[in-house]
Amino acid sequence: MSRITLYTVRKEFGSGGDKILAVEDIDLEIRDGEFLVLVGPSGCGKTTTLRCIAGLEDVTSGRITFGDRDVTGLRARERDVAMVFQNYALYPHMDVRRNLGFGLKLSTKLPAAEINQQVEDVAEMLGIEELLGQKPKELSGGQQQRVALGRAIIRDPEAFLMDEPLSNLDAKLRSQMRTELQTLQHELDVTTVYVTHDQTEAMAMGDRIAVMNEGTLQQVGTAEEVYRDPVNEFVADFIGSPSINVFDATVDGARLDGPGDFSYHLSETDPVDGLRTVRVGIRPEDIQLVDDGIELGVNVLEPMGNENFLYATLGEQEATARIDPTNRPQPGESVSFAFDEAALYLFDPETGASLKTKRDGVVPTTPDSIPNREGVESTTGTGPDTGSNDDQIEETVE
Amino acid sequence: MREETRREAVWQFLTYGFILLGAVTTLVPLYWIFVASTLEESEFLSSTDPRLIPGDSFLGNFEALRARENVQFVGRVGEMTQYVDLGPVYFAYDFWNLWNMGAIESSIFVAGVYTILSLLLCSMAGFAFAKYDFRFKQPIFYAILATLILPIQLLVIPLFLLMSQIGLTNSYWAIILPWLANPLGIFLMRQNMRSIPDALLESARMDGATEFQLYYKIALPTMKSSLAALSIILFLFQWNLFLFPLVILDQGKYTIPVAINQLVGAQRVYYDQIMVAATLSIIPIFILFLFLQKQFVSGILAGSVKE
Repeated sequence: MSRITLYTVRKEFGSGGDKILAVEDIDLEIRDGEFLVLVGPSGCGKTTTLRCIAGLEDVTSGRITFGDRDVTGLRARERDVAMVFQNYALYPHMDVRRNLGFGLKLSTKLPAAEINQQVEDVAEMLGIEELLGQKPKELSGGQQQRVALGRAIIRDPEAFLMDEPLSNLDAKLRSQMRTELQTLQHELDVTTVYVTHDQTEAMAMGDRIAVMNEGTLQQVGTAEEVYRDPVNEFVADFIGSPSINVFDATVDGARLDGPGDFSYHLSETDPVDGLRTVRVGIRPEDIQLVDDGIELGVNVLEPMGNENFLYATLGEQEATARIDPTNRPQPGESVSFAFDEAALYLFDPETGASLKTKRDGVVPTTPDSIPNREGVESTTGTGPDTGSNDDQIEETVE
Repeated sequence: MREETRREAVWQFLTYGFILLGAVTTLVPLYWIFVASTLEESEFLSSTDPRLIPGDSFLGNFEALRARENVQFVGRVGEMTQYVDLGPVYFAYDFWNLWNMGAIESSIFVAGVYTILSLLLCSMAGFAFAKYDFRFKQPIFYAILATLILPIQLLVIPLFLLMSQIGLTNSYWAIILPWLANPLGIFLMRQNMRSIPDALLESARMDGATEFQLYYKIALPTMKSSLAALSIILFLFQWNLFLFPLVILDQGKYTIPVAINQLVGAQRVYYDQIMVAATLSIIPIFILFLFLQKQFVSGILAGSVKE
């Protein structure tokens, strides 16, 4: 277990004219025992960042420390971290037992009997004891995933690094493993860096989320922080599903004029002072259908069961709204909507920086309010199932 | 019968016919060599009465082959020259004098050693070309591939000079060393090793493996079938080498192809003995192939189909 700190880490690929900047001067501290999710669109540099932490890539400049130990120049095998890969990367020629024991065999001087014991403990913890004699190709996706996890856990590393470990599973198994993974991480209390492109997964799993784009770190914070108080339009757009509606509006004193008949009087004009245009953002869930308001042309209605997704046009602009399931406007019809100013987002049209974010009185959780990990013991007794599980884990991991 | 099923049947008939034709054209000459080795020379060379049934002269022909002065095809016990007194037993320790290697043993020894060493070298080089980045990687790889087009005939003189300079004339190493870095082998291994997922190697790196352990604990075991296929290719290559061994080896060390060549005399071609020698020379290859057959077929096909 340890704190992982990145000091202005930069990673370039290639040289000369073909140089590609994958990670641009990232400063990031991952706390001891924290579950940090690196999230961003494809090619944003999140996986490269993870690989730099793992030691699979050399950094071009900057430093990485685990606790007080500078690991920048160390190779992967000297860093004492374990990684779970997207495609699991199980050794195809070894059975599960040897897959699990391989790391211990190479990196420790433990006798074979001791390794075997640990393999069995970890297998029991993950519920894969009966698979120990099988080859990876005989396992289902979920079982392979568990073996990959087990291979990381058994090493008792300083940190877990996970590169989209759930993306090859079907939706149901994915959400099940998501919970399992979180429980496991909380119980083992090992610093974890988890990479995903799926913002839902990021928000659900991370103690904190680090949003990346084009090689730069945009924002680090809890799920609520990045959702309610994004630093810029990119983060606002990336976090939240369906995505926030953003469009251009002209500023005329306190009045904003947008596409279609969008027009709104700001009660507070500070954010837009001195601007002639502004980017306006409204989250789909903040759109309220009313009898008299701004007009939307209905395109498609997607019933989700508990709510309906309304895809509509605002002037020339596409817009999405999450509405009550009893409300079923038909395609071709028009509806009117309104919104609270507190829920309105405003972004600088040039830099994309946030001028105003959600201020509806709800105080988002902050990093300091992350549940204390000593609380693990207090939660052990809450459920009959987890209780017995925890005991096993405590025994096997120590 | 419906039109479709009939067309299918015709197609199947043609397919099997074609395969049969291939099998017959391959096997008939082999069979004929075997039959000829069991007949008197006059019998199988007869134009009026061609024979396709084995006769009973195999041992006679074999004896004739063994009795030849200029070729030693199969090894034989030599004069015992040195002894160690071990009490009641006299023990010959000068094995090489005791057992005079014939061409068959020479060939098996040379091809065996060559196959093992070359497998090692080709798989290492293939691994490096497939999985590492280094300066001038592409040019070096293409240079190695380019050597494929050099015929051995062209290399005989320079190689002979080289071998005599380093004192390896009339040594088995002279016919092993020059082809150790087999371009075809390197190419095949590189192609196959590219199919090893990078994540697999990285995963092993994270698990604490050194670069050499990646090679022999991960890459080699996953490449088992390709290695089996390549070992047959390499073994056959060495087994069939003719010109260079003829030039660089002395009579006592001849390999099979060179030894067989000695049966073609100035006045006479000893067909009966050639047939016996050819039959015998097929046996080790046959055994090796039986051994590796299963791996060989899957190795040749490996990577051709996405699973």
